[in-house]
Amino acid sequence: MSLDDPNLSSLIKRHATRHAAPDALRAGIHTQVTLAEAGRSETIAPQSSKRHAWFALRWRTAAVSFAMGLACAALVLPLAQRLDLNAPLDAELVADHVRALQVGPLTEVVSTDRHTVKPWFQGRLDYAPPVFDLAAQGFPLMGGRIVHVRGSVVATLAYARNRHVIDVFVWPSTAQSAPLRSLHKGFNVLHWADGSMQYWAVSDLERAEMERFAQAWQQQAAAQ
Amino acid sequence: MSNRQVFDALVLPHLDAAYNLARWLLRSEQAAEDATQEASIRALRHIGSLRGDDARPWLLGIVRNTCFTLLERTRNEAQWLDFDEAEFEAALIQAPPRDADPVLQLQQQRTRTQIDAAIRALSPPLREVILLREFEDLDYAQIAKIAGVPIGTVMSRLARARDKLRAALSSIALGE
Repeated sequence: MSLDDPNLSSLIKRHATRHAAPDALRAGIHTQVTLAEAGRSETIAPQSSKRHAWFALRWRTAAVSFAMGLACAALVLPLAQRLDLNAPLDAELVADHVRALQVGPLTEVVSTDRHTVKPWFQGRLDYAPPVFDLAAQGFPLMGGRIVHVRGSVVATLAYARNRHVIDVFVWPSTAQSAPLRSLHKGFNVLHWADGSMQYWAVSDLERAEMERFAQAWQQQAAAQ
Repeated sequence: MSNRQVFDALVLPHLDAAYNLARWLLRSEQAAEDATQEASIRALRHIGSLRGDDARPWLLGIVRNTCFTLLERTRNEAQWLDFDEAEFEAALIQAPPRDADPVLQLQQQRTRTQIDAAIRALSPPLREVILLREFEDLDYAQIAKIAGVPIGTVMSRLARARDKLRAALSSIALGE
């Protein structure tokens, strides 16, 4: 039984568009596969490999992350407020972000290369903040600067997302916390801590994008 | 060989085919990239189930299922696309070279647009069998396995899809 239509077949084969996989996709898969494999090799903590796969698969839906955010907020917010940690610091960081955008400098060291930005902090800080290049994930590094927050010197990294700027304030902390979101004057502030540093990301970017940024950052940190 | 080595050697060479299928089954580049990435991770995790089989139909089956899951999930969402400035500019830059015959080029471009549109206009089950048959040259048994339907259904879907394509493309001489 000859079902095939050679004329139609050759027409489709010759003329229809064949989409080639973009380089960014190849790079993304390479990263994800490496991450997934790294997660698997950490057999001491089965939880961990599960978590890597979870991140890698992007199963995170808005509902899940919202529920998690809510749960984290419910757990951590009362504590943070009691410690008088959260609200005023948000305001201070947002103010600094706005000031940097208004009068500058947004970046005292301008480079998309993390090997230029990271060494720039040498001698300016008594700690070494991690600097990641997240260009592959759509957040190219713009540079870094130093700001003073509550009497301490804080490393600040600027990332771009389309026309938006994300400021990431980094300084040491022994606390550990999952990303915690707050909104101040319309700016999204995302805070998390990994046991060695605390991170405050400030931007006018929408929430989902900010969470994507935090996720990309944590994946990079996990891959180190 | 480790899982990773098997993946790199057998799966990665078919990434273009995987992305092409996803791009044809889904609405946007972004969705196709997400689906291909998700399918690749799944392929890596289940690489053990690839026992000497041909890796291409196996990977395409995973991509296909990922795409249909994604379609199912987004069926109730808004159907419009963001205007992608980068893609638009890339398309502008890809303008054909000047020295070629402009009439011929215009014709070819029209043919391409018409064929692409005709394939796009097929419903996903019909589009799927056409893609697997005409783009990937898979046989009926392989397509049946990927689509999860009997071979008879594959054949009837192919026949229906071809009827629709022939009708849509009647203005192009099929005998050329």
